[in-house]
Amino acid sequence: MNALLALSRAIDALTERIGRVVYWLILVVVVISATNAVVRKAFNYSSNSFLEIQWYLFSAIFLVGAGYTLLRNEHVRIDIVSGRLTARAQNWIDVVGIVLFLFPMTVIIGWLSWPLFMDAFVRHEVSTNAGGLTVWPARLIVPVGFLLLFMQGVSELVKRIAFLQGRIPNPLERQHGRSAEEQLAEEIARQRNADGARS
Amino acid sequence: MSAWLVANIAPLMFVGLVIVLMLGFPVAFSLAAVGIAFGLLGIELGLLQPTLFQALPERVWGVMSNDTLLAVPFFTFMGLILERSGMAEDLLDTIGQLFGTIRGGLAYAVIFVGALLAATTGVVAASVISMGLISLPIMLRYGYDRRVAAGVIAASGTLAQIIPPSLVLIIMADQLGRSVGDMYAGAFIPGVVLALLYAGYVFGVTMVKPAWTPALPPEARTIREADGTSGARSLLVLVIVSAVAGIAFAKLRLARTPLDETIVIATSVATGLAFVLAVINRALKLNLLSRIAERVTFVLIPPLALIFLVLGTIFLGVATPTEGGAMGAAGALIMAIARRRLSLPLIRQAMDTTAKLSTFVVFILIGARVFSLTFYGVNGHVWVEHLLTSLPGGTLGFLIVVNILIFFLAFFLDFFELSFIVIPLVGPVADKLGIDLIWFGVLLGVNMQTSFMHPPFGFALFYLRSVAAKKEYTDRLTGKRMAPVTTGQIYRGAVPFVLIQVLMIGLVIAFPQMVMVYKSAESTVDPAQVEIVLPPSESSAPPPDFGVPQTDEQKEQQKEKEDAKDNSDAQSLEDLFKAPAPGPGK
Repeated sequence: MNALLALSRAIDALTERIGRVVYWLILVVVVISATNAVVRKAFNYSSNSFLEIQWYLFSAIFLVGAGYTLLRNEHVRIDIVSGRLTARAQNWIDVVGIVLFLFPMTVIIGWLSWPLFMDAFVRHEVSTNAGGLTVWPARLIVPVGFLLLFMQGVSELVKRIAFLQGRIPNPLERQHGRSAEEQLAEEIARQRNADGARS
Repeated sequence: MSAWLVANIAPLMFVGLVIVLMLGFPVAFSLAAVGIAFGLLGIELGLLQPTLFQALPERVWGVMSNDTLLAVPFFTFMGLILERSGMAEDLLDTIGQLFGTIRGGLAYAVIFVGALLAATTGVVAASVISMGLISLPIMLRYGYDRRVAAGVIAASGTLAQIIPPSLVLIIMADQLGRSVGDMYAGAFIPGVVLALLYAGYVFGVTMVKPAWTPALPPEARTIREADGTSGARSLLVLVIVSAVAGIAFAKLRLARTPLDETIVIATSVATGLAFVLAVINRALKLNLLSRIAERVTFVLIPPLALIFLVLGTIFLGVATPTEGGAMGAAGALIMAIARRRLSLPLIRQAMDTTAKLSTFVVFILIGARVFSLTFYGVNGHVWVEHLLTSLPGGTLGFLIVVNILIFFLAFFLDFFELSFIVIPLVGPVADKLGIDLIWFGVLLGVNMQTSFMHPPFGFALFYLRSVAAKKEYTDRLTGKRMAPVTTGQIYRGAVPFVLIQVLMIGLVIAFPQMVMVYKSAESTVDPAQVEIVLPPSESSAPPPDFGVPQTDEQKEQQKEKEDAKDNSDAQSLEDLFKAPAPGPGK
């Protein structure tokens, strides 16, 4: 079990690092899209490659970021029933869910999307839109994203089982400090007090 | 046994989904798992082709190459940057001062600012948190009824859901296969009417229970003239001058443009003029404007500029909704830099939250697509259609049942789940019944807005609870001890607004014209035209096929049917809105 927990920590660290890199793509895609919109109108110039790179990048965000979102436990749940259960029961549900729901989905989609990447790569497929991009990088994101999600699933499974064995604290309790809403509230309150002190 | 299974696999699949979702495992994976499990069962029973799952990668690909969804991270990011920029706080302070001294004035200010913030971004949490921290303590200080105060804040925050640019409208447009621009144009008037209904409720309260919403004493104003007067007259003059200029400009120059375009231009001209006058007044120290007039002009400029940048460009047809979102996000960044509020931790946090939100949203969609692959394969859509078309009362019966269903589901599902699970089931039926899908989408949008206000799980109530005083506290200004705001007060405060929401659903059903205005907005950019399209390809704008496998012939027929329907619907409305001269878009 200790070896598995070490594996889980390694996966978590990797996922964390990948997530922190991938979220910069948000800023990149905002800049590309806004610039593209202005340039298209102002200089009447556009290329499909600018449009396609936007969804390539967005796809990278949500596919590669899926594992990171799982690590942060931010995939939404309907917790109207499970919210009232004990921590043990919630962790049991996750064990069942990871094995029976998450794994089959990630394996099937990841497995079946690999040949599409190989096909696009071998044929040097290019988008059918004029000036379009090479297709294989976008095709590659799918199996990579689902592999990362699967790996994070393994890590989460290890953590759930370790908790059920009493080895680690409840992994479903929020470990990452305050939520975005709490931070916003603190920020405004701080600003208010600063204003109040000045006046 | 297996014959029974074959006959009932669609209803079983639906029940299975409900049970699995209730377990509380992430929705995205639960949806996919039910789709895969029943897919295997269907293959075993000989109902489905063994190659069924080969279609999965293409389903994921379809989600990836969907331009509409790109607007989700853009508007989320914009909202997150904006909520930290201090814009909401400035607005609440100034507008609160402006309206405060009339009875119910603070409540009107909250509704007005709520609507304004809603038109800038689509984030409910930010509005509710700002208002809960800034307006609620002031309302309590001057003796507002706690239920009214809490209800008005929670409800005004949820306006972000229905007033464009809101995330739910983007997703609704995507799921119904309609353009986001049309959905925005259609939702605009209902959103404004809803804000007016809220204000009407406050007015009713001031009439029946004046003590619940007292006027602020004059000394509560900090922005006033040297002689102690409010300076409101000067503001009124400025407003009238700007409004007249804007309307006159629109009338003179733009008689031939559609209604929404005229509104955008007139508002921009009016705002621009007010801004220029205020700047001249300040620069030359003319003192022609009162302090409040100057202050109001300056705090209104940033939100109005952002609204123009996003909604204005979309309605003018200059930008697609996705581009509008990107420009809005860029504009919010620039504004935050100008106000010295932008820092690396803030950007990181905004990107982090945006990435996680977009990921879970898109993954619910992927899960829903996996589910629908099997569900349509076993003719689940036919089952749903029979179920819904056999209702008494025809179209109206269908609308009422669907709305009741969503109203109750909204107690425990949020709008992402509702849009991705329920809309694909009811959308095609609505289309078959000849219901305009934009109208249908706006109607359901108003309905889903209640999911934020339903006690005890409504998010707006939850956010308000998190910032309202839980313990007795000392008021900073008066030094008086104040009682905490109880959770019961927040819940009870929300009830009248949930009822207003139900009333609004009825109004949208009774007066479809409010939504149908979108048909005069033909100039909206069609994303399909932006791309330099050679032959139609898989990445061009998808037809509204709800994932139902269709032959090209069927699509052709559907298209013709729609065209015919659009024409007949549009006729009377065109008479209404395009009477002076037919727009160039037609």
